[in-house]
Amino acid sequence: MKKLGLMIMVLAIAGSLLMGCSTASKGTESEKKMLTVGMELAYPPFETKDEQGNPSGISVDLAYALGEYLGRPVQIENTNWDGLIPSLQTGKVDVVISSMTITDERKDVVDFSVPYAKSYLALLVNKNANINQAEDLNQPGKVVDVKKGTTGNIYATKNLTNATVNALSSETACVTEVTQGKADAFIYDQLTIYRQNKANPDTTKAILIPFQDSESWGIAVNKGNEELLIQIDSFIEEFKAQGGFVELTDKYLKEEKQTFDALGFPWFFD
Amino acid sequence: MKQTVNKEPSLANKVVSAIFVAVVLIGFLWFSVNSIGLELDFSTLYQYRQRLWEGFLMTVIISIASLFVSLVIGSLTAMGQNSRILIISYFCRAYVQIIRGTPLLVQIYFFYYIIGTAWGVDNRYVAGVVILSIFEGAYISEIIRGGLASIDRQQYEVARSIGLTPVKTLQLVTVPILMARILPALAGQFASIIKDSSLLSVIAVIELTQTVQEISADNFRMFENYLFVGALYFILTFGVSLFSGVLERRYNHEYRVNQYL
Repeated sequence: MKKLGLMIMVLAIAGSLLMGCSTASKGTESEKKMLTVGMELAYPPFETKDEQGNPSGISVDLAYALGEYLGRPVQIENTNWDGLIPSLQTGKVDVVISSMTITDERKDVVDFSVPYAKSYLALLVNKNANINQAEDLNQPGKVVDVKKGTTGNIYATKNLTNATVNALSSETACVTEVTQGKADAFIYDQLTIYRQNKANPDTTKAILIPFQDSESWGIAVNKGNEELLIQIDSFIEEFKAQGGFVELTDKYLKEEKQTFDALGFPWFFD
Repeated sequence: MKQTVNKEPSLANKVVSAIFVAVVLIGFLWFSVNSIGLELDFSTLYQYRQRLWEGFLMTVIISIASLFVSLVIGSLTAMGQNSRILIISYFCRAYVQIIRGTPLLVQIYFFYYIIGTAWGVDNRYVAGVVILSIFEGAYISEIIRGGLASIDRQQYEVARSIGLTPVKTLQLVTVPILMARILPALAGQFASIIKDSSLLSVIAVIELTQTVQEISADNFRMFENYLFVGALYFILTFGVSLFSGVLERRYNHEYRVNQYL
């Protein structure tokens, strides 16, 4: 008798769990109007948080502008970099605006808008490492740090086959390893390298000269979401035409833009 | 002691119950995956078999190495905690309290980037084993201390009355009883070591979790990757758990370890 009771209990629990699932999936129907935007808030000044912990940055402003264009309220979902594409695939977010470079590998699993910005990879090297260009890294005994899943990671695994490549999960860890000499170089985008070099002038050196073609950033949507993608493309055209990116530069990156102009490097939104 | 009647359930009952549990668990998983329209395709993992195998081996090697080092640390600090020299006792207690009271992730960053750099430990694998051993050593220390405390004082009285020297007492009384009592708990701790080693991925130790994160960055099939790797960890820990069950049964009979654990 006791056993029968137990079984009924197990069934009841399992049943209620299943019921829970089905009601949960119904719940998202009513929120369909909401535009959920996935981004990793760990990439200032594009995706970051202000003092109160609210999302802030260029991509955040861009997301709100997109929401306004589409007439949908915007909700920012802070998601780990590795989790961004899976979030799109499972419908947890509608779009990803997270300074994501359009690559062939990513295009296989998600769809990208027209590019809205471009960037170049750069090197943050340890002062004593005696590295002057990216090619110097491709030899045994050299240690190269990259952030997991970034284009720097892809570049290093493809082109620096003789060096030891460490894929770490945070930018800070990579920079720390370079300042401590645990790694010879960290490959990331120009702007971050420039900023990190300014923050650690005694231990690091920045090599900002582009060593490969520019990378284009796009807004990503789930594969096959044509309707939203067309809207996003026309939004980007309009935003560009109305000088939205110039405004964002003035708001967040005025000083950096001047430095980049002085060095003769192309700007993100040119 | 209370005697319980230990009637073995019938084979049919066992089989039916096992099938029932399996159906509920698999059904729940299947329903969940289906309800969000997720299509799982594990075939993409096949091309990474070499890296997965190497990561699996690295996890096993790191776990076993950490088990031995943490046993040494745990034994020394367990004895140290009861030391009459207060400095040693305080040192060991502080170690156990601090390590058990802080997250492993914090310890990994702290030991690798601060202590490791200061003392010139640059090899990630050596650092990884040392950090994991320091962490697990604190738990093993407590297991051993508990085991020592559970030994009946009468055992020592008997030992003295039959004229055993302190060394012989340790060898013939303390160690055999202690081993019997703590072996199952130690085996459980070993399963923890295996799982905790996954956190070493944050300092780019290329073990199973780091491997699967690198693969996820490559094929974007996060769910398949993590489910698969979860199964691999489970195979390891389930093996340890079975082994622990064997130990428990063996020593249960001789020392009635059950009533203490």
